[in-house]
Parts: sequence; C-alpha cells; structure tokens
Amino acid sequence: MTGPPAEDTAREPGVATGRSRESLHTPTGRSWRALIQPAVIVAAGAAWLAYVENSGLDSIARRSLALDYVARKTWQHVELTLVSTLVVLAVALPLGVLLSRRRFRRATPLVLAVANIGQSAPAIGVVVLLAVLWGIGFWTAIVALVAYGILPALRNTMVGLQQVDPSLTDAARGIGMSAPAVLRRVELPLAAPVILAGIRTTLVLMVGTASIASFISGGGLGDLVTTGVATQRTPVLLTGCVLIALLALLIDWIGGVASRVLGPKGL
Amino acid sequence: MNFWEYLRSREELLTFETWQHASMVFQCVVAALVIGVAIGLLVYRSPRLSAVATGAAGAAFTIPSLALLGLLITPLGLGVAPSVVALTLYSLLPIVRNTVVGLTGVDRTLVDAARGIGMGRARILLRVELPLAWPVILTGVRVATQLAMGIGAIAAYVSGPGLGEQIFSGLGRLGGANSVNMTLAGTLGVIVLALLFDACFVLIGRLTTPRGIRA
Repeated sequence: MTGPPAEDTAREPGVATGRSRESLHTPTGRSWRALIQPAVIVAAGAAWLAYVENSGLDSIARRSLALDYVARKTWQHVELTLVSTLVVLAVALPLGVLLSRRRFRRATPLVLAVANIGQSAPAIGVVVLLAVLWGIGFWTAIVALVAYGILPALRNTMVGLQQVDPSLTDAARGIGMSAPAVLRRVELPLAAPVILAGIRTTLVLMVGTASIASFISGGGLGDLVTTGVATQRTPVLLTGCVLIALLALLIDWIGGVASRVLGPKGL
Repeated sequence: MNFWEYLRSREELLTFETWQHASMVFQCVVAALVIGVAIGLLVYRSPRLSAVATGAAGAAFTIPSLALLGLLITPLGLGVAPSVVALTLYSLLPIVRNTVVGLTGVDRTLVDAARGIGMGRARILLRVELPLAWPVILTGVRVATQLAMGIGAIAAYVSGPGLGEQIFSGLGRLGGANSVNMTLAGTLGVIVLALLFDACFVLIGRLTTPRGIRA
C-alpha cells in the first residue's frame, strides 16, 4: 500500500518544478519587493563611498580609497568567495553523497565527529597555518578557505541525506527504481532544502573568512581594513568594514534567492 | 625546536593565554546569555517583535567578524573593549534567536493548563515556559560559545587577549624559527578549549534539562 503514495511524493518535486514556477510565479507585488534589499545594500555602499570620497581625505587615505582600487579589492573579494565556494561544493557534495551510500554508511558517525572537531578550528588559525606552511598569496588563501569551509558543507550534505525518511527510499526501491534513480529522484530532491541552505551558509562563511585572507596577502576588502589600521586612517578602515558587511549581506541575499529558485517546489 | 619543546618552553605564557581566552569567552557568553534571554522575554509574546528580533539577529550574523571588530576600533580603541563587545554581540545572536524560538515553541495548552491551576504570569514563565524552552536556549549558548572561540582568536588583531596572540605572532614571524609552532599552538589551543567547553555543555544539558522532557 505504501507504493503509490510514495511514488507520488517522489515524483512531486520533479513535476512541480515545472508547473508551479509558471502558475505561482511570484506575483509582481512580491517580486519587486524582493529587489528592495539588494537595492538598499548597493545604494548604501554607493552613498558611503560618495560620502567618504568627499570628506576631505589626505593623500594616503585618498590613494587607498581611489575608486578603481576599491573596485579591484571588491572584485578580489568576490573572486575569493566564489572560487572557494565552488571548490567546496565540488568536493563536499559528491563526497557527502558517497559517504552516505550504504557501503560507507557505517563511517558516517566518524565523519560527522571529525567534522565537528574540525569546525571548532578558528578560521584565523587555519588561514595563518597554511600561510606559514605554504607561503602567502591568493591560492593559499583559496586553499585555506576551502579547508575551513569543506567540513560544514560535507556535514550539511550528509545530514540532509540522513534525514530523508527511509520508508520513502525503501518504497522507491520497492517500485523497482535502481539505486542511482533513488538517489536522483527521491533522496536528492528531498534533501535539497538542507543542502541548499548549506550552500548559502557556505557562501556567507566564505565571504567572512575571505576578509581574513588579506592577512596572508590573499587580497580582498580586508586589505582596506589592514591598511586603515596600519596607516591609522579611520576612513579607510571604516570603508573596508562597511563594504565587507554590505557584500556579506548581498551575497547572503543571493544565496537566499538561489536556494528558493533551485529548490524543488513540492516540499 | 619541535612543537613539544616549544610548548614546554612557553608553558607559562601559553597557560596564561589559554586561561585568558577561556575566561574572555566565558564572560562574554554569560553576558550574552543574560542580555539575550532578556531580549527574548521582551519580544516573544508579540509575533511581530519576534520576527524583527530573529530577522535582525540573522542579518547581523552574516556580518563578518573582522568588519565588526574594525568598526568598533573607532569608538572603543584597541584592546579588551572592542574584543569583549564584539564577542558579546556575536554570542547574542544565536541566543536571542533560540530563546525566541524556544519560548514560542512551548505548547500553548500547557500554558493554559498552568493558568488553569492558578499559576500567575511569573510562575508560568519560571516553572513552565523557561524550563521547556531551556534545551533550545542551551543549544543557542553552545553555538554562541563555538562562535566566540573562533572570533576571540581574530580579536587579537585589535590587541584583544587570548590565544589569537600566538597565531598573529606566528604570522608576524612568517618564515622565522617558531612561526609554525606559534600558529599551531594558538590554533590547537582554541580547538581544545572549544571541545572542552562543548563537553561541559553536554554535561550541563544533562543536568539542567527537566526530567520530563529529557530525551
């Protein structure tokens, strides 16, 4: 008796993806409201820059706050964030799926325990340790960010797959689905909300940690903070902090939108 | 000098910095617990205020710690003050969120029943709502502690106390004799502290969860 309803549940996300996007396509009232947040964030950044550029800077501060320099640092920050997030996901998602297969399932508690311990490592420690061992620069920063971000993402994927009701996967096997089909059509769609939330968390984590990358010459907006502190130029320091915070909020918003758009609609 | 020799030669300094780190995190989390639960109690009865509080906590959570520490240098200068304020603020976020979630998650029928047997507002809060919400609040405190451990290490950048000092000394002596040892000592020290604190929370959770809702 569990066969047919389970099949419905299994198929629902796939079917609903196509249909509900059209019919429920967010009403205009809400779709423009969703754009308020990024607009406010960008406007706040522009307003801050306009204010700071016209606040009578001395030559040192002006050099660190030249618009093309600030733009380059912002872009570096985005690069650090995106590259590290992509690498983290490219490693953590398949690895998480692999480790939650039956053959490796006994290792799950062990992996989760290791992930928990790894998560208590301080970001700054991981970043500096890699720089001390490997030398400084952009790619060391990427490696450090990946090392820091991979365990939470792995953990998230595994927890997401773990909380899929086993009776649903059993039912899917029962109606004759092959193991890959069960994974693709039942487990992954049902685990998607948790996994997508994990992607958003990874993005936010990487934006924050990328600001530490400037300590090891990885570039990014952290450079404005360290320059500001080193040269005792408060406007430079504040600009760095404000832009990092705004970028983090913007990327969190993008992550939120992505998880809504990519998530299966039947859940 | 290998790592063990380094640890032995700096035993006194390392013990002091570890103690400083633990004490800073502990005090900030306790302060955050008091403030956070107070905020939670103020807002949880109004769905609107609850949404505002959890929303604001979530947004503040995305702001990277380096940015907040930097912003605090301007009004507070360098040293203990910006570190403590930043740590307390970050610890507040999960505690406020979990307090609100925990308190609003309490079954209304239980509150009604408590009122039915003649309990007053304060007694309902102390005897029914807070005990039932406590495991959720405690989880928030646990998250806050983990967070404060890591941010406490970054606080050394604004001359804050604790093990971050070792990490930044290691960075400053990049390529020098003890840079690896210093960074490793700071990083491992924070990991060990975080695990010890976490073990304490498991114990506290066992001891303070009301018997009726113990898993």
